[in-house]
Amino acid sequence: MRKLIGFSCAIALAAAQTPADGPSTAPLFSKNCAYCHGSRGEGGRGADLTTGIYNHGGSDADLFKTIRNGIPGAMPAVAITDTEVWKLVAFVRKLGSAGIGEKAVGDAGAGKAIFEGKGHCATCHSIGLIGGTVGPDLADVGRRRSLAYLTESLVRPEADVPIRYRAVEVVLKNGGTVTGIRLNEDDISIQLRDTSDNLRSFTKENIQDIRHDKPALMPVYGAILSGKELDDVVAYLNSLRGEQ
Amino acid sequence: MKNRRACVLAITASVLLHAQGLPVTNDRLLHADKEPGNWLMYSGTYNSWRFSSLDQINQGNVKNLHVKWLFQGRHNEKFETTPLVVDGIMYLTRPENDIYALDAETGRVVWVYSYRNPERTYNCCGRVNRGLAILGKTLYMNTLDMHLVAVDAKSGRELWKTGIHDYAADDGYAATGAPLIVKDKVIVGMAGGEHPVSGFLDAYDARTGKLAWRFHTIPQPGEANFGTWAGDSWKTGGVTTWNTGSYDPDTNTVFWGTSNPWPDYNRDERGPGDNLYSCSVVALDADTGKLKWHFQFTPSDTHDWDSTQVPVLIDAELRGRPRKLMAWANRNGFFYLLDRLNGEFQFAKPFVRQTWNKGFDDKGRPDIIPGNDPTPEGNDKIQPGVDGGANWMPNSYSPITRLMYVFARDERRMFTKNTIRHGNDDDTVPGPGAVRAPGNTNGMFGNGGNLPGGGGGRGRPARFAPEESWGKVIAVDPLTGTIRWEYRVLTPPWGGVTSTAGNLVFGGTQEGVIFALDARTGERLWYFAGNDRVYASPMTYLANGKQYMSLAVGDVIATFGLD
Repeated sequence: MRKLIGFSCAIALAAAQTPADGPSTAPLFSKNCAYCHGSRGEGGRGADLTTGIYNHGGSDADLFKTIRNGIPGAMPAVAITDTEVWKLVAFVRKLGSAGIGEKAVGDAGAGKAIFEGKGHCATCHSIGLIGGTVGPDLADVGRRRSLAYLTESLVRPEADVPIRYRAVEVVLKNGGTVTGIRLNEDDISIQLRDTSDNLRSFTKENIQDIRHDKPALMPVYGAILSGKELDDVVAYLNSLRGEQ
Repeated sequence: MKNRRACVLAITASVLLHAQGLPVTNDRLLHADKEPGNWLMYSGTYNSWRFSSLDQINQGNVKNLHVKWLFQGRHNEKFETTPLVVDGIMYLTRPENDIYALDAETGRVVWVYSYRNPERTYNCCGRVNRGLAILGKTLYMNTLDMHLVAVDAKSGRELWKTGIHDYAADDGYAATGAPLIVKDKVIVGMAGGEHPVSGFLDAYDARTGKLAWRFHTIPQPGEANFGTWAGDSWKTGGVTTWNTGSYDPDTNTVFWGTSNPWPDYNRDERGPGDNLYSCSVVALDADTGKLKWHFQFTPSDTHDWDSTQVPVLIDAELRGRPRKLMAWANRNGFFYLLDRLNGEFQFAKPFVRQTWNKGFDDKGRPDIIPGNDPTPEGNDKIQPGVDGGANWMPNSYSPITRLMYVFARDERRMFTKNTIRHGNDDDTVPGPGAVRAPGNTNGMFGNGGNLPGGGGGRGRPARFAPEESWGKVIAVDPLTGTIRWEYRVLTPPWGGVTSTAGNLVFGGTQEGVIFALDARTGERLWYFAGNDRVYASPMTYLANGKQYMSLAVGDVIATFGLD
């Protein structure tokens, strides 16, 4: 009975509180969440938390409940206080909404033209169903990512490459090389999406080496675009808010 | 080749001679190596070699090995069990605490025993179970809610169950390991070292379930070594016994590994003492549970480097004298050889990358390198990783090659100093009982591999790049610590290995690659793409005179044969 009363109190307490992020939350996330959700919330064994899409409910109360209780068979509950759970709710929400409220200085229309033309961005990146799949889909990147993050991604693409988009180069024993992103791997074989968006599979008996020393496939746009053009592309990316 | 055929015939004849079915007597357990067609205890034999003298499947024909049958577990939890086989019947535990009896030739279910745990249990790392023990006509199983259950091996009927401890006390106890039968007793370990519990090892009367003795792994007031804990920290110091031990009938000694002290990553309240008998092996009189000796691998540990590995007992000549020895690939990254008569340290050598230890004094005490403790912000400079160079996964020793096979974890991880919570400080905080392992929800790659987030554990910061961590089967000369060969795999493993007289070493990876290696060279001779995570160790047996090899992969027991 004591535990039942305790649980009821917890619900009441939960209802009375609201999410509040703070400087102490990053270590809290790192300790309790990052093993599965990635150090930046980019996902892995657990869901990608930067999408702003939450399979088990997106309200503050839903997120609280998910973190508090876990998901049977899928995600463990964490042994932290309710206050700490609320901090994580705020932290997670921010992971999926860093660009909201920011105002870009560039011209989004001009940026769109560069994205589709001179920049050849759509070769690798899709917006919805249009574009390549070697890089991340950008349909809602303006909501998820801050202006600073978007700018850095263009001028220093290797700064933060989601692990599923890291480049690998397969050096074959016959002398050929294939570059792409790793889709899967075990001790017998590796599967890639190559830079031409083809699915490729190689058995390791035919592989000389698998190299990981160039993490990003993306060109350094600081060397391709002017400062104004970069601002325009960032403005266009910031305008991509998904279907919310 | 002629000799091999003769050997096969001799073994087959031997199995037929011993084809007595039940009961499994103490004498049969003592000489389990003489019944290679059966697998009578968790580690195969009391010396925990996990070696089979079967050689129908051998290096010459293993390329023809193929799936004979599958047992579909249909569960989400990790499948850590090692089945037993007694004369054509396979007995296995299926998560959480069900027992299945199968026809070992076809995998068809003969009977099922289901045990219902409370909704909330206090296991740290999945609602798992590693297997059974058998004596007479009775199977024994530990349960997550801290019971020892006796089940009739012929019918699956529950004979009795006895409470080991209040599973909800002290923030939570559980029992996940396979029991060990010694004479008329069932030796039972317990888990909970992630909580402020107080560890012990129990022996129960195999007939009645009555407690025969209890060894407290933390010295009680008035006992030797009590002063190795600061203040009252001994009361909640952890030191659990969650895996299975070994037994030496010549000296009537049970050897059992102990876990980390609690709190795992923070010694502020435990003080500078050694926190005995944490991260140790204890040698106990099998009749009384009295301590004969102990050896501590990692004093006052702050890395969760449990010493709950299965002790491997080897008799060999060392420095010109016949010796009774114990080989131990420890979670702290060092391979140890001890004298098992007295615990005397012989040597220790690293078998994975390590950063924490300069060397050992003549008693085996490590010379700690500063800067290797966890920090609140996270220390990523420590190796081995938080799951250790070895963990609970059993090793194997072949008396033919005289090599010990270890499936090691060579990885870099982050260590974070935790805050200390006593009991349910906050009653609204769900205990770890709410924790369920992710089971088969394996993230983007489906197989839990050495890519984002693969592997076990929970609540740990993200691991580093796959290229910084890997697994490897190593063949170690246990008398020198020399690594003779290494077979590297993509991901730090969670499965053990088994060796056979067919000159083979079997195992499975986190991506589900089930492999057979040449026991002398480490060359991979055969593989099967199981495509789900292996959290268990292989075993091998005969059914109708033919050799099979079984291993749990995903929620399936995959059993392989030649024809």
